[in-house]
Amino acid sequence: MSDIKEEPRIGVFVCHCGHNIAGTVDVASVAAMARKLPNVAFATDEMFMCSDAGQTLIKNKIKELDLNRVVVASCSPRMHEPTFRRVVEEAGVNRYLFDQVNLREHVSWCHSREPEKATEKAKDLVRMSVARAAKLESLPIKSVEVIPKTLVVGGGIAGLRASLDIAERGFDVILVEKDSQLGGHVAKWTHLFPSDESGAQIIGPLISDVRKHKRIKVHVRSKVSDFDGFIGNFGVTIKNLDTEKKRRYEVGAVIVATGFEPFKPVGYYGYGTHPDIITLAELQEIKPNEMLLKPSDGKPVKNLVFIGCVGSREPGKKGHEHCSRHCCSATAKAAGDLRDRVDEALILYQDIRTYGKGHEEFQRLARQKHVIYSKFPQDAKPEVTIKRGKIHLRWFDVLGGVELEFEPDLLVLASAMIPPADMDETAKMFSLTRSGDGFFNPEHIKLAPLTTHTAGVMIAGASQAAKNASESVIDASGAAAKAVSLMAQGKVEIESTVSHVISDLCSSCHTCVTACPYGAIAMDEEHDPPIAFVTEAKCKGCGTCAAACPSSAIIMYHSTDDQIMAMVEAYLCTTPEAQGGGSA
Amino acid sequence: MTERKAQAALVIGGGVAGMQAALDIANQGFKVYLVERTPSIGGRMAQIDKTFPTLDCSACILTPKLSEVSHHKHINLLTYSEVGSVTGKSGDFHVRIRRKARFVKEDLCSGCGDCAAECPTEVPNEFDMNIGFRKAIYIGFPQATPNVYTVDKENCINCGRCVKACQRNAIDMEMTDRTLDIHVGAIIIATGFELFDVSQYPRLGYGHYPNVIHAMEFERLINAAGPTHGHLVRLSDGRKPHSIGFVQCVGARDVQKGVPYCSRVCCMYSIKNAVMALEHYPDAEVSVYYADIRAFGKGFEEFYEMAKKRFGVRFVRGRVAEVMEGKNTGNLVVKVEDTESSTIRLVEHDMVVISPGIIPPEGMDTLATKMGIAKSDDGYVQIAHSFFGPTLTKVPGVFVCGCADGPKDIPDSVSAGSSAAMKATIILSKGGA
Repeated sequence: MSDIKEEPRIGVFVCHCGHNIAGTVDVASVAAMARKLPNVAFATDEMFMCSDAGQTLIKNKIKELDLNRVVVASCSPRMHEPTFRRVVEEAGVNRYLFDQVNLREHVSWCHSREPEKATEKAKDLVRMSVARAAKLESLPIKSVEVIPKTLVVGGGIAGLRASLDIAERGFDVILVEKDSQLGGHVAKWTHLFPSDESGAQIIGPLISDVRKHKRIKVHVRSKVSDFDGFIGNFGVTIKNLDTEKKRRYEVGAVIVATGFEPFKPVGYYGYGTHPDIITLAELQEIKPNEMLLKPSDGKPVKNLVFIGCVGSREPGKKGHEHCSRHCCSATAKAAGDLRDRVDEALILYQDIRTYGKGHEEFQRLARQKHVIYSKFPQDAKPEVTIKRGKIHLRWFDVLGGVELEFEPDLLVLASAMIPPADMDETAKMFSLTRSGDGFFNPEHIKLAPLTTHTAGVMIAGASQAAKNASESVIDASGAAAKAVSLMAQGKVEIESTVSHVISDLCSSCHTCVTACPYGAIAMDEEHDPPIAFVTEAKCKGCGTCAAACPSSAIIMYHSTDDQIMAMVEAYLCTTPEAQGGGSA
Repeated sequence: MTERKAQAALVIGGGVAGMQAALDIANQGFKVYLVERTPSIGGRMAQIDKTFPTLDCSACILTPKLSEVSHHKHINLLTYSEVGSVTGKSGDFHVRIRRKARFVKEDLCSGCGDCAAECPTEVPNEFDMNIGFRKAIYIGFPQATPNVYTVDKENCINCGRCVKACQRNAIDMEMTDRTLDIHVGAIIIATGFELFDVSQYPRLGYGHYPNVIHAMEFERLINAAGPTHGHLVRLSDGRKPHSIGFVQCVGARDVQKGVPYCSRVCCMYSIKNAVMALEHYPDAEVSVYYADIRAFGKGFEEFYEMAKKRFGVRFVRGRVAEVMEGKNTGNLVVKVEDTESSTIRLVEHDMVVISPGIIPPEGMDTLATKMGIAKSDDGYVQIAHSFFGPTLTKVPGVFVCGCADGPKDIPDSVSAGSSAAMKATIILSKGGA
């Protein structure tokens, strides 16, 4: 936004991406074309622009040729925009004077069988980017303060662990739990793997440490009823579900650890039609006795059967396609534990997924104790009928190639981990997205499993995907580290690609206020007539407001009308001579 | 020794777990020494072509992390270095680091590659699983971080051509190993894993038949920056394979070979590789021979279904008994019991890919001894407790993440890296356990 308009001197760097781009697109001819474009002072092609060598090349050329705009034609900006922005900045060029063209995902990968046309498209895109780059303006680098306090939502094993870590590190925590007790599901479980402790023994010390810690403020029977603000500066209202009393806090970061719900498999294997057909979660809650007793009549269980993948691994059934991860190991552990108290124990399964440390041993131990494993086919699940009050089970044993029948006294269904009933409410509250399994989407499935697309909001434990208690503990400490990083830095940079209202042009129509999906625009009532204004830290730069404004009173920084028109013109007019509004 | 408590941490291992741990500590404002044994950070993930279940290009998503680590003002990157000795206790460790001579000055080398262009000696490139070649002065891969060359003295013929070629005078053939003593409050072990040596199963033919390769070799063959520029070919004759068999659970879930545990990643990387083979050659026939398909992570089962339905990968439940080579063709015959139909089958493939399990890295024993940490029966670092301390070791102030305490996939390693970082910074902020 500097007032002095310097002549654009653009450097164009076309990346081979090894063979990824260069295998399809004639990168040398793209660079040669770019060299002839107006305002381009330098253009070249290079093996890997993201490598140190590529980065150094950009920096050197900026200094050597006094470049003031940089275009890199490589991969998706989602991948390397931060890298190249940093590079140009280190060479003294404002990060908003950089533009990236996506030649890989948008060209070479999707047109790999049409190299000539792909090269033409690449040239079009580079020409458009160069036209845009000439119109780019530098924008200020802004930051906001971070309030040194974190909100943790959910008081299960993940929420407790995250709270304790943050508090021990010296920051304040507000912990909210909707139940009247802390501890979540783990507190109720008897056969926790891979340890021999019960859930209560694990969770007890955590709860008492949390309760004692002076930096942790606990709200049970409470929910977040209102949430606003932006990274570093969230406002949160916590409502007590019994008293309806509300309390407001300001926090810098949020960890959502709202966990899962065990699926109630109504309609599966006779669940609900017989008291001795229960879920694994319900079995977990049966108090450990010398004998395993039937819920129906209190008599000892002689024949025990487990069925795996109940409500999990069902292709095409929304919310039930995923593997619930914990059940195979939990079943092996429970079957092994209970084997001594029953005459026979069977596990009917599709695949045995005892993947974790020590889990394979549970399965071996169960087998050594003569727990019988029987594999059933995915497309022909076991059938349950109730005959004269008895549970009758019939299934095809894949490995023996035979039809089998059995009458268990207790049938345990290893049912899926699914998101809790109020998942949607939580997702809306914190602007989180959900993946196909119904759980929250992380920022990146591989490299950023604990952060989300809402800056400053982390996820931990089974709210992200089905996982076991030990894995949830690891996540929780990890998410705590993310929150602490923010708070310890004390400041966080925010994007300048935001919208801005030109007050003189605003006609007070409120259109933008309703159009904004992030609640970032409000009316300044002190002004007469009231005019719209943007809270920059909440603005995501989507441009909806600018498109909706009937008075053209909104500028979308970094995607101005001028910049977009330049790109359209460059696309339609392939030679510089044709550009500039001529009627050729 | 010192009054002031150490405000720094040591992270051992520059793979994805170690890098994440280093970043999460450094982002809190503490200093981090990140020690990596090889000339570049990046670890195993840098070698992988695509990642499951999204088929993201591994190097592409990793490079921003490499860059972030190398430019972080609180991270002191010590590559081509090893931990010498460790003394002291939580909050107050004294560590001696051995910085191996790379014969190239890190501060002068610009990574231009003029030296390698001059070097007359070519040796197999370990980064490409020895399929391709590199020079005796080399960087492992294009995104190597730091982008500094290293002289492989074992293969260098001391001709001096690289020294002359280097315009920045960065090459110093007289360089010797140096030591660096550091004072740290916490230590994180992120030493990763090694692949099981599949030649320990002679019946599977690896090492005897050129068209039997293992999964990491397959990764390099399909990688656009790999030795064949991403052309998937047979090593015997350079022909395209039309039929590929993937053999699962080799060096995993096998009590006899001392690897009773599941390696956790092989099912998914093989399904991914099977899909990639079909992306390269849609007409190919691809089979996976497995014991159980363990698609347990987020999006994994859905990916497995897609491999079956959309790509037509065939899954055969059965452990492969033997791989034999046909006469003159270089083709292979896989002998396997299809346990779902109880039939013994002989299936011809023109390429067989063995999926090695993963084992603790070389040097784990000595490192464990130096640190005084316990190891579990399977040779990995013993964690303090599954629920109270899944990233804690039995030595206060020493933490563990990634595959150092057992096999993990990338997201679980990343999460554990962050988790260990959290624990380390609690120690740093308090000045001890």
